[in-house]
Amino acid sequence: SRMIKSMAVAAAGRRTTDLGDVTPHNIRQLRTLNTVVFPVTYNDKFYKDVLELGELAKLAYFNDIVVGGVCCRVDTSQDKRRLYIMTLGCLRPYRRRGIGTVLLDHVFKVCKEDGKFDSIYLHVQVSNDEALSFYQKFGFNIKEKEDRYYKRIEPADAYVLEKDASELVSSQLVAC
Amino acid sequence: ALRVVPSILSRQGMSKSQPLPPKEQTLFKRVLKCYEQKQFKNGLKFAKQILSNPKQSEHGETLAMKGLMLNALGKKDEAFDHARRGLKSDIRSHVCWHVYGLLQRADRKFDEAIKCYRNALKLDQENLQIMRDLSLLQVQMRDLEGYRETRYQLLQQRPAQRQSWIGYAVSYHLLKEYSMALSIIEQFSDTQMETLEYEKSELFLYQNMLLVESGQHQAAVDHLEKFESQVVDKISLLEAKGDLLMTLGRQSEAALVYRELLERNPENILYYRRLEEARQPATVEERLAIYAEQIEHRHSASLPRRLPLSFLTGEKFQGFLDAYMRRMLAKGAAPLFKLLKCLYSDAEKVQTIEQTALGFLESLATCEKFSPEDADSDIQPPTTELWTLHLIARHFCYLHQWEKALEYINRALEHTPTLVELYVVKGKIYKSAGDCQKAAECLNDGRMLDTADRYINCKCAKYMLQSDQVERAEELCSMFTREGSSAADTLNEMQCIWFERECALSYQRQGQWGKALQKCHEIERVSLCASLTLILMFLFV
Repeated sequence: SRMIKSMAVAAAGRRTTDLGDVTPHNIRQLRTLNTVVFPVTYNDKFYKDVLELGELAKLAYFNDIVVGGVCCRVDTSQDKRRLYIMTLGCLRPYRRRGIGTVLLDHVFKVCKEDGKFDSIYLHVQVSNDEALSFYQKFGFNIKEKEDRYYKRIEPADAYVLEKDASELVSSQLVAC
Repeated sequence: ALRVVPSILSRQGMSKSQPLPPKEQTLFKRVLKCYEQKQFKNGLKFAKQILSNPKQSEHGETLAMKGLMLNALGKKDEAFDHARRGLKSDIRSHVCWHVYGLLQRADRKFDEAIKCYRNALKLDQENLQIMRDLSLLQVQMRDLEGYRETRYQLLQQRPAQRQSWIGYAVSYHLLKEYSMALSIIEQFSDTQMETLEYEKSELFLYQNMLLVESGQHQAAVDHLEKFESQVVDKISLLEAKGDLLMTLGRQSEAALVYRELLERNPENILYYRRLEEARQPATVEERLAIYAEQIEHRHSASLPRRLPLSFLTGEKFQGFLDAYMRRMLAKGAAPLFKLLKCLYSDAEKVQTIEQTALGFLESLATCEKFSPEDADSDIQPPTTELWTLHLIARHFCYLHQWEKALEYINRALEHTPTLVELYVVKGKIYKSAGDCQKAAECLNDGRMLDTADRYINCKCAKYMLQSDQVERAEELCSMFTREGSSAADTLNEMQCIWFERECALSYQRQGQWGKALQKCHEIERVSLCASLTLILMFLFV
């Protein structure tokens, strides 16, 4: 009937993605997220430090539910000033919807606004093809391979992916 | 709270029986000002200075003010002591009587307070403040004749004030003497004191209320129709009109009114009920038509999309339900189960709900659509599957099929472990199945995800109490109560009855009768019906 049709029409799914701050009140959600998404476990100190990261840590909301997050830190090793992505991920059912892109875009924004980073880099497990292709799409290159980077998972080797800060231009987004 | 007594200010220590010398007069003025500005400690200092003068050591009004300020600082016994001394010393001072009355009222001795106010008024018959205090107490104690008397006195004192007239009319209204009340209002309208459109409008509506209450329905309708254009609160106007037309049996006219009300607000269930009453639909189709109208024109209204579910059956029900569930699940409406709960008394409908939901789930899990036949443009986001799992879990929980319920909620948790609602459902399942301990744990897992959420905090505390973890529950509640006092005290003060009750039940389960009874007493102080709990307690000891 016409009435039923008009009811069903309004059933088109809503899709909103937003970023939110990590606070002492919601940090457990980040922890739950990371535990499920990453094979590496992070300890209490990690989450204590996350609360001091400010804009370097963000939660990603999809339809008002936390489904992803990113944590970075400023790395001053090797006589450079680099932005290191510690964790960036999203729950499996919500992947391939641009949430990772939104998170990475935020990292780029932070990097540009700071203006004094040499590059952005991160580690990716050698077997993680999904992640490798994701970052390479955004202009990250494999810099080197670190053997036995991971202590408790196999394969234990990781690639170092890096992107020069100077390569960041205003419209960096690539459609997923 | 004790209010300021402005009449005192105007009198400034000039008690006829105990006049103060100039120096003490100045001090007394300061005392009054301090009281008004709530600087009680300073006020007490000035009062002490007056009383330290040996000739003024028993000055009635100073003692009374001292009592008033002591009471404000929480020293009740001392306060009464001073007030009594003051009264004894200067029994002809209306201030002393007034203060004593205020203290009695603060101590909830309302009859005594009324007596004091009356005495104060005898001594100062035109004292508006005392009259107002008295009238408030009288109406609280339902001394309606007394209230009318006092309101009359107030009207005589301030005939130019609108509220004197209205107050006087209300006093007759309370006595159910409607004709008097109506004539007072009419007289008042004639004085043209009301200049604001809104106030005039409210007065008309009040007049109408009086007409309705006195049973003069026809007159009320005529009155409404006469002054319709001057009433700005259209909704109250229409509701009153609809009510009256129904009472007078003018159904078709009433139906038009309710239609108009629905235009303004399609989410008010009362309008639908009344419309049905007015139209008396003979068939299901006619009945449905009432809702169809709203559904087709109001895209965001949710009530007309839900109400027909209660009277539709069979295939029609199935079709309607399917569309309704799709809409709500796509929206991510968490209360969907609660909205459908009223249908669960019908076994056939329960079956339909189950089949529809499970069907959706299967399809969503495989092709991300509610049904494989749907167009690709109707592909759903992952949250739809999530809320469908949530609904199914609640459905099985309600039907007491614990294993199934757990199966689905665990699936949901695997899907999105960051959603707090899922933990609440899981806890509910365990609780209903009888494992209160595990239930409390689940709630706590959910609570930790968002420690700024007071709702989940309270819910978790409740589950803690139900699993007899009273200290932990109190600890949890203290995260949201004032610092300084214990959570139990604050919750008591705030009359948080659910907490007290769960505590009492928990102590009862643990056989700690003393503590349990204590909690019951605390509840009883707050509400009389809780004495039932007490009686039950005695039965089980």
